[in-house]
Amino acid sequence: MANRLRARPAHAPGPAYLSYTPNGKKLVTVGLNGALRVFQHDSEDEPAVIDVLTDNHFAVAATIEFILVGAEDGSVTKYSLLTNSMEEMLVRSSLPVRDIAISPDGQWAAVASDELEVKVVNTQDMTRVMYLREHPRPAKHVSFDISGAMVAVSCTDGLVYVYSLSSEQPQLVKRIDGLIKMLDNEAEASSKAVWHPDGRAFAAPSSTRDFQVVARNDWKLQKAFRGGHRGDISAAAWSPNGALLVTAGVDKSLVLWETRSQKMLKSFDDVHNVILAMQWHPTDNVLSYTNNNGELFIRENFAPNEHAKLLKIALQHAPMNGDPLNDISGNARKPMLNGVKPNGHVRSGDDYIEGLLDDAMSQDGADFIEDDDGAGYAEEPNRNGKRVARSIEGPQAKRQAPGPVWQPQIHEPFQPGSTPWKGNRRYLCLNLTGFVWTVNQETHNTVTVEFYDRQEHRDFHFTDPYMYDKACLNEKGTLFACPASSHHPAILYYRPHETWTSRTDWRTELPKGEEVSSISLSDSCIVATTTAGYVRIYSLFGVPLKMYRQKSSPAVTCVSWRDYVMTVGNGPVGGDETTRLLYTIENVKRDEICQSEDILALPDGVELKSVFFSEKGDPCIYDSDGVLLILQHWRTPGQAKWVPLLDTRTLDRLASGKKEESYWPVAVANNKFHCIILKGGEEYPYFPRPLLSDFEFRIPISSAPNGDEDEINADNTLQNSLEEKYVQSSLQYSLIQDLVENTNATQTQKLEATGLEREVDKVLLQLLAVECREGEERGMKALEIATLMKDRTGKMLEAAGKVAQRFQRDILSEKITQLAERRLVGLVDDDEV
Amino acid sequence: MALPLPPGLTPSEVGFLCEMELVTVIPRQRLEGLELLGGPTQSLNPPFPAPLPLWLALLLKRQKRANISPPPWLSVEGLSSILQFETDNRTAEVFSPAPALPQPTGFGSRHDAYLSQDSLEFSPPFLADSSTTRSQSNALPYHWLELGHLLLTHASDDFDDPDTVRRLLRDLREVRMSKLRKGFKVLDAGAGVKMNGVGGMEVAEVRGFVGGIVDGLRKINRSREESRKEREAEERENGLGSSSYQDDEDDMQL
Repeated sequence: MANRLRARPAHAPGPAYLSYTPNGKKLVTVGLNGALRVFQHDSEDEPAVIDVLTDNHFAVAATIEFILVGAEDGSVTKYSLLTNSMEEMLVRSSLPVRDIAISPDGQWAAVASDELEVKVVNTQDMTRVMYLREHPRPAKHVSFDISGAMVAVSCTDGLVYVYSLSSEQPQLVKRIDGLIKMLDNEAEASSKAVWHPDGRAFAAPSSTRDFQVVARNDWKLQKAFRGGHRGDISAAAWSPNGALLVTAGVDKSLVLWETRSQKMLKSFDDVHNVILAMQWHPTDNVLSYTNNNGELFIRENFAPNEHAKLLKIALQHAPMNGDPLNDISGNARKPMLNGVKPNGHVRSGDDYIEGLLDDAMSQDGADFIEDDDGAGYAEEPNRNGKRVARSIEGPQAKRQAPGPVWQPQIHEPFQPGSTPWKGNRRYLCLNLTGFVWTVNQETHNTVTVEFYDRQEHRDFHFTDPYMYDKACLNEKGTLFACPASSHHPAILYYRPHETWTSRTDWRTELPKGEEVSSISLSDSCIVATTTAGYVRIYSLFGVPLKMYRQKSSPAVTCVSWRDYVMTVGNGPVGGDETTRLLYTIENVKRDEICQSEDILALPDGVELKSVFFSEKGDPCIYDSDGVLLILQHWRTPGQAKWVPLLDTRTLDRLASGKKEESYWPVAVANNKFHCIILKGGEEYPYFPRPLLSDFEFRIPISSAPNGDEDEINADNTLQNSLEEKYVQSSLQYSLIQDLVENTNATQTQKLEATGLEREVDKVLLQLLAVECREGEERGMKALEIATLMKDRTGKMLEAAGKVAQRFQRDILSEKITQLAERRLVGLVDDDEV
Repeated sequence: MALPLPPGLTPSEVGFLCEMELVTVIPRQRLEGLELLGGPTQSLNPPFPAPLPLWLALLLKRQKRANISPPPWLSVEGLSSILQFETDNRTAEVFSPAPALPQPTGFGSRHDAYLSQDSLEFSPPFLADSSTTRSQSNALPYHWLELGHLLLTHASDDFDDPDTVRRLLRDLREVRMSKLRKGFKVLDAGAGVKMNGVGGMEVAEVRGFVGGIVDGLRKINRSREESRKEREAEERENGLGSSSYQDDEDDMQL
């Protein structure tokens, strides 16, 4: 151990660079002389040497099978690590190569040289090259993000350019100004963007000699590691789990940081040359670096013993301002679901890392988690005495290892109309009345409520020390809920918009240990489902009306409309290990249950996105396939069924196949689906508030008409659209008829019902006309259409007869007249035909 | 004394005509439907968008009672794709096409729609939805320049990127004006310039110039014309044109 600071003279004095293979078995170094060295991990043996034709190497990147080496003569050469020999010249530029990065899947290599463009070459097929050209000056460093879909190019003009490689043509995503320093190509100082292993952020040396973290979702500057160096930073490396960071400076300093607190853990003073490249070993507590004197250091047990455990914990998150995940961990919710995060929003890229980590953890076995100071680093609480815990833990883990523990996947609770944190803001509620959004100000939040109708209501804004995380808004008031904290239990807060007394807002505290999982607000009541499995119903002025235990729990969400309350919960487990969602609709005032624990119809693998009541008061759901469904006949127990209103995948605007967009549901009103169009793979709306769009309903009866404009197609299109119109208008009619029959309907609603009934018959009449035009042989179908008519007055059948006459279908017209006559005397009732 | 105005419409008159176009507004407060000369308007009910005539929309916008949502063609993507069409070498000769015409109204079979009595065929500037959010994103309607100008002046805060839109509009205007001017080079007594897709303001702008040229050409050619007429008159007097004279008589009787 004492001699561990022995330098390994790897190359001729001068700049040297290194790279670990992803599995950590081998370490490759390059330098000024014409030889590459391949060190075996955990071996004191002399390294293997690959003699090469080039010298003055400036860059190296390794995968398990091969390495890429960039040299001053502008060549990037691929050497096999299996045979330790040269394979091919991958790419050649006219000027010296400065940096090489390989994508995590090993398929692509980004090469920065003193030429203006960065080349991204396929490592298997060197004829496939993408060029990144948006930056005006040569790039100094390149780095791939964790998913391999983005490249951060640190340019010598002092800007970081982020390109997206997910499309055929690389696209510039963001130009980040004011982050890195303008550096010379050959400077020892670095401006390399280093991606944090959780993939949500990268960090780069700033001009103030700090190490600045930048979030990936909004490219805003986040936390920084400050005050570690008196000179520019020359190299930096995150530990494989992102919990530790090492930075080295041109002032020959080397500093170890803790990511979570951005605290300097240790400053090393035994560095005698400027470190140019540095990497953690992928699994062990080993840091290797090369300096500008051609030397390699492999420092075992690099992190001091008291911090070494930080290397063994699970993946840590990048330090961000106002990080929502910090809030969640404050609630100390255990990850009880397999792979589903406590906040229910799984980001892309996470799965990948978690997969890797899970593997690593299972290999390392029980002593991987060692939470000896009880600081809660490990997810699994281990608060017993140390010795006892160990003796039990070891064998147990081994026994558990072979058979994976089966756990059902439950649906996480969600609040309809809200979005997760992004940056430091989120929408708590977004509907047709207005929207509520909150901004995280570290110590408190600021909540803003804005209305669409500015004449009716006045926008308001308040400072929120309780950190409300759920809200509902309607014409009458705003309802908020906050989780429990050390100062207070979970709180419900209702604020009416206008009163004729003094302000009557009220708060109510939930019993200790109970958290609100979802809330809803209607014109007459307030509903909250809680983690204790209760449904709590209050009046608008805070009188608790009733409370009961939800039959299917844990609760997923709840919505309400007037006196109707719909709660959704996790029911029995289905074949795919996920729970079936069950809903219950009840009328609170009449204390009637309309539907009890009925199944929320979702096909396999499709998740519930949103639940809301339509403007007319029918429950609607929107699923992750983009289908909007409405509940028919729900006022009669056992009769309810889900009817699709619109499949957004068949919308005309998507027919060209060029657009990639999704729809974030807002409401169903005016017989239209109101939503926010999200482009470019976004999942949630963000600021500034996007415009609402609306789409007409179109029940997916038949496939969407394609663009061919020939005659037969035009006929078919007309017929299809009429058929669709028929199904839709009969659905609308049945919805309004239910309403009229079951409630004290107003006169206008009754009028609307009869109007819709006529509408159904009108569509049938049009269909009949189409059939009549088609020809004599379609007479049977035409007659069938005529029998479908409700026709209370008898006028519709008369009109149908006239239509048949106009097209000279005499037999048909005769049959229709007969039908009308039989109806008139009551010979045909519903069951016949 | 007659007004010293050139023949045709002045720009402000064209702008005035453009104000009858319907645009989509997002109301910020309720308003009952109004009975206007141009037809009743929809009642406004926030946040549902509604089509309103431009003049009313601008009035409401000025009073901060509504936001105007610009038509799809008046966006950076729409305008840049049209500009690309205009400047592309392959299509450099023609103007970008006007919006697609709607199907003629009228019943009966599709084939004789054109002939049927109750059929209506719409053409610019009377197309519905040419400037609402339902308009085509890749075609400039008849009143594009005036409408773009009015919206950018009075409702620039409703645009995502008003400066780029303004720049693109100016680019488009310059490209199309240069095309029009190029067309004048071939103007002759009998020649014509194809002006499909040209907007109202552009027509008004070149009307004076083109009208002047064509009139001038007519004057130059007048002597020839007159001699032709004289010759015809002579022929008629000589009895050769009696048949045509007879025809005229018949027309008179009808």
